Amino acid sequence: MNLRRHPVSAVLSALVIAFLWLPLVVVFIGSFDTNSLLTSWTGATGHWYNEALHDPNVRDGFETTLIIAVLSALLSLAVALTGALWWRRAHGRARALYDGLVYARIVVPEVVFASALFFLFLKIHFTLGLPTIVIGHAVLNSAYATLIIQARLVGLDPALEEAAADLGATPWRTFRRVTLITLMPAIIAAGLLAFTFSLDDVVTSYFLQGTSQSPLPIVLLGMIRFRITPEINAVGVFVMFLTVALMTLAVGVFSTAGRLGRSSRKSRIVSLYEG
Amino acid sequence: MYLNTLLRSVVLSVGTTLVCAVLGLTLAYFISRQGPRTQRLLLAAVIIPFWTSFIVRIYSWVDVLQNDGPLDSLAHTLGIVGPRSHINLLYTPASIGIGIVYSYLPLMILPIYVSLERIDPAIYNAGADLGATPWRQFRRIVLPLARPGLIAGSIIVGVPAMGEYVIPEILGGGKTLMVGNIIANQFQETGNYPFGSALSVTLMALLVVVLFVLRRYQLSGEPS
Repeated sequence: MNLRRHPVSAVLSALVIAFLWLPLVVVFIGSFDTNSLLTSWTGATGHWYNEALHDPNVRDGFETTLIIAVLSALLSLAVALTGALWWRRAHGRARALYDGLVYARIVVPEVVFASALFFLFLKIHFTLGLPTIVIGHAVLNSAYATLIIQARLVGLDPALEEAAADLGATPWRTFRRVTLITLMPAIIAAGLLAFTFSLDDVVTSYFLQGTSQSPLPIVLLGMIRFRITPEINAVGVFVMFLTVALMTLAVGVFSTAGRLGRSSRKSRIVSLYEG
Repeated sequence: MYLNTLLRSVVLSVGTTLVCAVLGLTLAYFISRQGPRTQRLLLAAVIIPFWTSFIVRIYSWVDVLQNDGPLDSLAHTLGIVGPRSHINLLYTPASIGIGIVYSYLPLMILPIYVSLERIDPAIYNAGADLGATPWRQFRRIVLPLARPGLIAGSIIVGVPAMGEYVIPEILGGGKTLMVGNIIANQFQETGNYPFGSALSVTLMALLVVVLFVLRRYQLSGEPS
């Protein structure tokens, strides 16, 4: 019998997919439950969405989360873009070291990084609060951003930039009109990824928040410790849709721009002539 | 006491990595053998749950695993537990394990899928035509080909899982903790920074050894 058509593999796969979706279904159903203790189903209501929307804790948490996510995504991009541009021309040990540092930030448990950053800020007497959370998120998320930008940078033919320089473009103009434009889809995708990861972060924020307003995931964690209510489910469903929309956008931008980028190379060289 | 916790973290991380490897290999193999459209659909089905809020994904397991929850009623219907008793799964190492497998599984599926996806289906047909049983086809064809993905997946699942903080915090109910929670407690509650740092360094040292071994294993497996 051919393994390709073996029924066991199909059945097991269906079970694994069901396993991945089960909790999401439970949250979704739970967010409409009229029974606030969630012990048994008593009927459906949209009340909890209204409740969640007007809960000052949730609102403040969400606002803080958005501010942190925007700032840390921008900082991640600055670190990732400059780093990747250097990495492109680097050789030997320095390049290997850079790759190792990126890899380490992805693999090492977040607790280790967060405790190290906490210790560092304490040693240099830097007050914990929003700025330290932003820095902490950027330290971790710039690694993912770097991988995405590097992937695009590898496909950028240096001949394009040389051509621009030969045609009399200043280095800054070459960077803006050739390098940056080619990298733009990767920059957008990397920024959205860093933004999404920051929205979701618990550990780094928990270590570095000090006495400032907690971001939403930590507010939720506090609420869960107290008691699970349909309101938390409603917040969860809301965050779920937001994240899925953002990530779909990130993937869409990266893959369509990949196709466009290849076809428009020629037109970009033409536009250099025209100034 | 701390040694116990460290040991529990190691066991949980190794155990969950193995479960992820088995489940991940099954699904990745299945996906890689479908048509392009079905492949994209199934990959989305794997990735979308991974995009949803981490906290929400984990605490929803509290709903699922608690006594009188869906799993408990299923166990009653199937007669696995008696009418007066419960599954008592929540707030045990097992529930932490389920949470870890659940949240890290996509990270195992994707690298295995990448290494299996490029393989010419003719290889499988050849195995079957030459009379190999499905189990033998799996062992001699799929497993060696999936090896790079399996090792990469084990690194990105096993290493972060060892220092997991949020999952044991929610699904361990404050009793069954892992080393990540002890480190966090030293910094956030007891204020014993030197001890917290020492634990952090111990964890790192342990992980460097694991990474080194896996890397050697990865290199030794390169075709000669």
